Amino acid sequence: MNELFGSSRVARGLVSSMAWLCYIFLVVPSLIVIPISFGNPGQIEFPPRQFSLELYRQFFTDAAWWGSTVQSLIVACLTTLATLVLAVPAAYALARSRLPGRGGLQGLFMMPMLVPVIVLGLGLYLQYSNWGLLDTTAGLVLAHVMLTTPYIMVSVMSGLQHSDVALETVASIMGASRLRIFFRVVLPQLKISIAVGALFAFLMSLDEVVVAYFLTGTDTMTLPVKMYSSIRWELTPVLAAVSTLLTVLSLMIALGIIAMQGKTEASK
Amino acid sequence: MTASSTPAMVELQGVAKRYGEVNALHRVDLSIAKGEFVTLLGPSGSGKTTLLNLIAGMITPSSGRIVIDGRDATTLPTNRRGLGMVFQNYALMPHMTVFENIAFPLEVRRLSKAEIKRKVGEALELIQLGHVANRKPRELSGGQQQRISLARCIVYNPALILMDEPLGALDKKLREQMQLEIKRLHAELGITMLYVTHDQDEALTMSDRIVLMNGGRIEQQGTPDTLYFRPETVFSAEFIGSSNLIPGTVEIGADGAYALNTALGRFAAPAPERAIKAGERAVLLVRPENMALADAATPASVAGHIEDSILLGGVVRHFVRCADGSSLIIQELNQPGRSGAHRGEAVRAAWQPQHGRLLPPAPAG
Repeated sequence: MNELFGSSRVARGLVSSMAWLCYIFLVVPSLIVIPISFGNPGQIEFPPRQFSLELYRQFFTDAAWWGSTVQSLIVACLTTLATLVLAVPAAYALARSRLPGRGGLQGLFMMPMLVPVIVLGLGLYLQYSNWGLLDTTAGLVLAHVMLTTPYIMVSVMSGLQHSDVALETVASIMGASRLRIFFRVVLPQLKISIAVGALFAFLMSLDEVVVAYFLTGTDTMTLPVKMYSSIRWELTPVLAAVSTLLTVLSLMIALGIIAMQGKTEASK
Repeated sequence: MTASSTPAMVELQGVAKRYGEVNALHRVDLSIAKGEFVTLLGPSGSGKTTLLNLIAGMITPSSGRIVIDGRDATTLPTNRRGLGMVFQNYALMPHMTVFENIAFPLEVRRLSKAEIKRKVGEALELIQLGHVANRKPRELSGGQQQRISLARCIVYNPALILMDEPLGALDKKLREQMQLEIKRLHAELGITMLYVTHDQDEALTMSDRIVLMNGGRIEQQGTPDTLYFRPETVFSAEFIGSSNLIPGTVEIGADGAYALNTALGRFAAPAPERAIKAGERAVLLVRPENMALADAATPASVAGHIEDSILLGGVVRHFVRCADGSSLIIQELNQPGRSGAHRGEAVRAAWQPQHGRLLPPAPAG
């Protein structure tokens, strides 16, 4: 008995150290930019031999960097809003109605998840050049809405599965119209799934580089595209500061998502 | 029917519901009077929930007409029928407080803030739960939640309150309390109620009229007394109360007196309400409480031996195995110093012939 316990403890130790190794392997390359960002402003250097905030100053004062950051935030916000307006009612309709061809419609909404992003980017590039949508914020937002819709829909539909249809029935019997039921009964119960989906969409749009690379030009360049081209053409250490800021923002949003998902479980 | 004197609140005329080849509900005619408490009773799959959903407008009938409060509601959408409903799982809005839940139907009716506040207060007073107004439903017990859900119906005075097994999720003691509470509210407010249950005791306790459903049809309807003492079919007799059923062949004497020839003997019985011809198969029903243990042979008695005796508090129930292998239930009042019946003891199960009731045989299958 004792021996068994001992060996299982060894095994458990082995497993957890393996897990930690994998984890470190995954995380360290992302974290390595953090010390670099506080280091030498002249060149990329690890480990850094001096400490300064010069790279952050450069980032916030350089119009090209700051401009693409603002552009990215605008695109992410518009994308999130537009996706919510589109995907929440669509998810509700698909989950509750007995429309013919419901499965097909649902598949259609999920499709952007399956198509390789680069294919989507190329296709949109060819199509947009006919429509004059290249290098426009509207065009990029439209493309991002396509990418984020499936994620919000999945989040909302799983939220709908946890909400009791009887609540909508009883509201209807009490005289409420479909519109009132949607806003007063359905939406409040989906608050958390909608917020989770929205944060996810925001993050996806903020991070997205492939489609944006195809569709944006000098006027509409987003931060990830700017970072990508700067890696190719100049390789400035400002990149480390930008990466650090993006990582922190992503981490905060991800923590927000986790906190909210925890809240739904606690209320069950 | 009791509905003849007062105007009907709900009237179903030849209403039927088919799903493809399946008849969920055969043509049903049913009238519910203003202020009446009607119970739909039946096993699952008997069509009672279909009937409820048809009245609520959640499904539309394949044929027939539904009239609610004097107007044709056959195709009227649910939210314009002016009904109320109480569900088994309460269906309270989890994101609203108790106050907001009860205020919701008033808000839908665009009442002023002051009026909403007054009416919700009154409704909470009526169910004696004024102190929980600001809590969320999940902080309350099941019984409290169901009372809130009742108050939410009462507050806007609907033409009819539908109740779909509202007490099914509560334990026995609470259920009995709530039965009385619902009865009290019904009596005080004079609201018309249609109550669905599969629990015969609940139906007997609460109803003005019971509508017994079986296989998508109305098997029999009437007051609890009528259904208990004058069942018209074997199904009614078996579903409500327990019963001893002895099958046999009808014999009619020269004086018109009925008797049934059975494997256990020939028993005299009162004339049936619906004529049964001599020579036809029939079933003799005797309620267990109308049978007693007897020592000597009487005109209506059967020999057997006690298989088991169980004590149910105020009453004792004996299970008697007869010579032909069938078994009878005898229920007697329990008395101190009662001479106990022993397992295996030879006894006679006796009854007064006028307590027997001849019924048409159960349809095959």
